[in-house]
Amino acid sequence: MTLETIDLAADVGEVLLTEEAIQSKIAELGARISADYGDRRLTLVSVLKGSLPFMADLMRAISIPVRIDLMEVSSYGGTSTESSGLVRILKDLSASIEGEEVLIVEDIIDTGLTLNYLLRYLRGKNPRSLRVCTLLDKPARRLVDIPVDYLGFTIPDQFVVGYGLDYGEYYRNLRFVGVLRPEVYSGGA
Amino acid sequence: MIDSAAAPLDQDDPTTVTADVESTTRPAAPSTRTSFAHASEAEMARILDFYQVRWEYEPHTFPIVWNLEGSVVESFSPDFWLPDLDLYLEMTTLRQKLVRKKNRKLRRVLELYPDLRVKLFYARDFRALMLKFGKLALVDELSGTPGQVVPVRPAAANDDDETDGEREVDR
Repeated sequence: MTLETIDLAADVGEVLLTEEAIQSKIAELGARISADYGDRRLTLVSVLKGSLPFMADLMRAISIPVRIDLMEVSSYGGTSTESSGLVRILKDLSASIEGEEVLIVEDIIDTGLTLNYLLRYLRGKNPRSLRVCTLLDKPARRLVDIPVDYLGFTIPDQFVVGYGLDYGEYYRNLRFVGVLRPEVYSGGA
Repeated sequence: MIDSAAAPLDQDDPTTVTADVESTTRPAAPSTRTSFAHASEAEMARILDFYQVRWEYEPHTFPIVWNLEGSVVESFSPDFWLPDLDLYLEMTTLRQKLVRKKNRKLRRVLELYPDLRVKLFYARDFRALMLKFGKLALVDELSGTPGQVVPVRPAAANDDDETDGEREVDR
């Protein structure tokens, strides 16, 4: 795949979640989170890069005061990580979460491997509570069972892009979630 | 359930694939190497290692068919056991005929051992995982018969001594 061959509109075969559906769900999630946490101090932790649009919209849908923080972990197969063979924290939290109410904001949970690692890592920082909010859940791919406290949509077992989700680092800027045409990636990654 | 450490599995079978992947449940032994039956299994072990999920390779064998004398004639050894998750993982990346056979075995296992948690990982699951990790180009090398890297077994060596069918290359 090269920049010249990418056609943002044509490469998506089906729009799975429209912009309107996503925003409506986020408003609903924001209201639930606001009600659940009430006057408790909440820290939203987003996992880069895919969760960025969801985090940006969700935090504005929450009506109680929140702090935000960002993390990034290496992904298997990434060129910068192959030498160690182990997942690494590329960007850690910028502030302590000890004793804090923490809500992880994820774009999608499929295998659960990354989130399983993150949950273990963050529990080690002794937050008061640690919960999970994900926009998308793809249970067909699950290897590690993850308790999801706030869920946007359960999606079928298809490769989706858009609204932060990428293929080869592209398509993140689509305002909807769509299914990537197989011919886009069938030639190899 | 039979602990495969004492079971006549083919850990020393020269036709298996040896990879520099260490079972993370074993005591520190830097030179420990695991022999995998299939390249996709070695790749899965690397993925589990990467995300620091402890695993053991074929540690347990579950008898599923006995003859009238009570001897085990068919058994099932899931490829991976993830002790922290109490989950068995079985990779199935070969042809549909073998997938059907494995599905049948899995159904039988779950009838006999209903508390067992087994995730069957099909070829499409492996392909999706490789796509997710940007390694789709490796799928053809790691899955299906090319990933097997083993010769056809003698006809006599089938379910009686092995369990998951993947070593029986169906060409």
